[in-house]
Amino acid sequence: MLLFAAGKILQTLMVLLIVSAVSFTLLKLAPGDPIQIMLGTEYSPEAYTSLMKQLGLDRSMIEQYLRWLGSFVTGDWGVSYVSKAPIFQFAVVEALPVTLTLAASALALSVLIGVPLGVLAATRRGSIWDAATSVFTLTGTSFPSFYLGILLIWLFGVKFGLFPTMGFVAPWEDFWAGVSHLTLPAITLSIYFLAMIVRMTRANLIEVLEQPYIAAARARGEPNWRVVWVHGLRNILMPLVTILGLQLGALLQGAVLTETVFSLPGVGQMITNAVLNREYGIVQAGVMITACLFITTNLIVDLAYPYLDPRLRPR
Amino acid sequence: MVDHKSILEERVLGQINRRQVLGGLGAGAAVLSTGLGSRPAHANGGHIRLAWIDHVDTLDPHFTGFLGAVKIHNNIYNGLLKVEYDGKRVSFVPDLAQTWEINDDKVHTFKLHPGVKFHDGTPCDAEAVKWSVERVWKGTPKSPHAWKYKELNNVEVLDPLTVRLTFNKPYAFLPVALTGSTGRAGTIVSKAAVEKYGDKFGRNPVGTGPFKFVSWRENDSIVVEKNPDYFEKGLPKLDRATFVIMKEASAAIAAMLSGQIDGMSEIPVQFVSQIQAQKNLQVYGEIEGNYVYVGMNCKRAPFDDMDLRRAVAFALNREIVIKQAFFGHAIQAYTPISPPMSDFYDPDVAKSGRGQFFDMAKAKEFRAKSKVKGTIEPVFLATEQGIYGTRLMQSVLPMLAAIDIKPKIEVVERAAWIQKRNAGDWDLFDFNWWADLDPDETITPEFRSGEPWNYPGWSNKRFDQLVTDAQDTLDVAKRKVLYTEACDILMDEAPIAIISHMPVFKVFSQKVKGFKYIPVDSLNLHTVSLG
Repeated sequence: MLLFAAGKILQTLMVLLIVSAVSFTLLKLAPGDPIQIMLGTEYSPEAYTSLMKQLGLDRSMIEQYLRWLGSFVTGDWGVSYVSKAPIFQFAVVEALPVTLTLAASALALSVLIGVPLGVLAATRRGSIWDAATSVFTLTGTSFPSFYLGILLIWLFGVKFGLFPTMGFVAPWEDFWAGVSHLTLPAITLSIYFLAMIVRMTRANLIEVLEQPYIAAARARGEPNWRVVWVHGLRNILMPLVTILGLQLGALLQGAVLTETVFSLPGVGQMITNAVLNREYGIVQAGVMITACLFITTNLIVDLAYPYLDPRLRPR
Repeated sequence: MVDHKSILEERVLGQINRRQVLGGLGAGAAVLSTGLGSRPAHANGGHIRLAWIDHVDTLDPHFTGFLGAVKIHNNIYNGLLKVEYDGKRVSFVPDLAQTWEINDDKVHTFKLHPGVKFHDGTPCDAEAVKWSVERVWKGTPKSPHAWKYKELNNVEVLDPLTVRLTFNKPYAFLPVALTGSTGRAGTIVSKAAVEKYGDKFGRNPVGTGPFKFVSWRENDSIVVEKNPDYFEKGLPKLDRATFVIMKEASAAIAAMLSGQIDGMSEIPVQFVSQIQAQKNLQVYGEIEGNYVYVGMNCKRAPFDDMDLRRAVAFALNREIVIKQAFFGHAIQAYTPISPPMSDFYDPDVAKSGRGQFFDMAKAKEFRAKSKVKGTIEPVFLATEQGIYGTRLMQSVLPMLAAIDIKPKIEVVERAAWIQKRNAGDWDLFDFNWWADLDPDETITPEFRSGEPWNYPGWSNKRFDQLVTDAQDTLDVAKRKVLYTEACDILMDEAPIAIISHMPVFKVFSQKVKGFKYIPVDSLNLHTVSLG
């Protein structure tokens, strides 16, 4: 077990190293540089050279990367070129909680609505419920989330004035304001997942319900709800959790668009703006954070298997 | 004695006709908002929330390069001078200074308002002004605005409230340079705060203005609150202002329509008509000191050929471009001199035959004279430009095709565009210069040989001489003659095909009262209140 954990950690570190090197190189190779952007219309060759020196961008690319890496691992994430604000504070303390809250509420919404809907569709195959669910899921998967966001804003924000359409309020500071600010973004971000979960649940459950142990359970006279929700659902958890873990990348991607449409100051917006302004340090921090999130989630998924399926537990 | 001050002043101000007030402006001002879920009114001065569509780099006025930031600076700082506008005239009046005396054309003496304090409690006296001026003039790191004090010889403190700036020669651009707004060089900042915060001063600004800085959350908002000790009695009226940083204009418009925000720092042209039609919104905007152009790279073939450039200049049908690219929200430009430069702008320029305009016969004539006869395929470098995106580039393409120029389009994101533009890695590109109040700032650094903003790389000795002479000519009539000739040379040799002068819009909900519009893309909240 210890060996397994050590191996996993080593693997994770390797992945992070590669990811950081690749993102650093890509951004450096892309045309455009931060100093010319910072100088705006006040650009002049002298101003350029002096600022370049000041920010240490006149060093070679490898030296810049190694310097970044060296300070990054020691916890010094540097400061933003423009704002001089410490990147760690900005990325981890300010932006990350916003994205995590948004992603978690979207995920919760999709699971809490998606699983029951999938069960409904699977147990009443061919009924009007099933048809309605498949129309809904097809629409959900094929609808671009940013466009849905704009539609929701116009309908529920502008027309009915029910929900705020912009900004973030932390639910742990002001619960109801937080919830109302999160409602539209969470719906926007969750639609794709919701649809996916419904379809996954339905397809898997249909398969599971035809297994002999289900027939056995029914033969034992167990009530229908128990057959479906305990025996059935338990056996679709594995594929569901796996897919959710793998799709976290898509969720974070969706968060970028959702954050832009709803003006939420999260990691997605942070990375987008940093890429546009070539703020290398912030992009790196953002990439590291998302990579860590992704890896950690999948690690948790791996570790959860034995709990979800007794057959995988060590004997 | 000659009244130099009034000469100086008149040079940049003078009459502006309000001919440019656009249709529908302020329409429906009397119609009240019908409940679109607006927030409850606040008991006191109120808290205004404004969507900031444009970029804010720093709140240190001596180091910014962006108007989105300058618009906020104006509310936190004061300049030695400020810009005023009464609907007809742009004028430069003392701001932190009580009086402004000019002796011998070169010596400017400012008597400051007594008892003015920075937000940190330190006094804003002659020493503070001297220190701020010197910070821009010769401080390290070097301010990008240092060139505005190039001819400054010395700053002296005469007494605690009197400061004197002595220049090497008469300096016609000075009134603009000394304003706290577009000039930036005359903005006075707190020495104690700069020393305390160092390079983080841009995130912890301390000025003397009507609003004190409260917080700046990245990609989210900048908050300022009322400065109760502001030296202009009775101002400001608001208690608090939040500048909500929003990248997506359509999201900002939705937030405004649902009453979550009270105004926007600017409006992309495609939304203007839609917003003007909303009865519960008020729109401010006139043609400002700017121009939009298509630049041609004079440093390499094929546009090192003057005849080819002239062909392009005559081939562009400005009327159609304005309709297609700007939805009609612009006026045709004939020279770079824009309407707010009232002493130099000729309202009848259209009839004068001067400058550039659409004339296909002439375009074809010059095209026939150009060195390359066959089809030319130059690189057209484009990006999302401020309020009109890539539409200018799109709308001129068929016009260029008419004279057998078929550009290869290179649309890149802004960072790459800036790098390519600065490196001269293009044949054609579109660009604009914004918020200028004086011909000196609108054509000199842009077209004098070797200047950093001279992206087309054009060079003409006579032009250089004229604009350089104009810098120390205070007599308005004489200066106008110099600029007229300079512009004629510029338009004739055509390093750029000039397109238009643009209105710049600000929009507020109906409950916002007391906004004073100034045609330099500013958004001063001094007199604003929430009704």
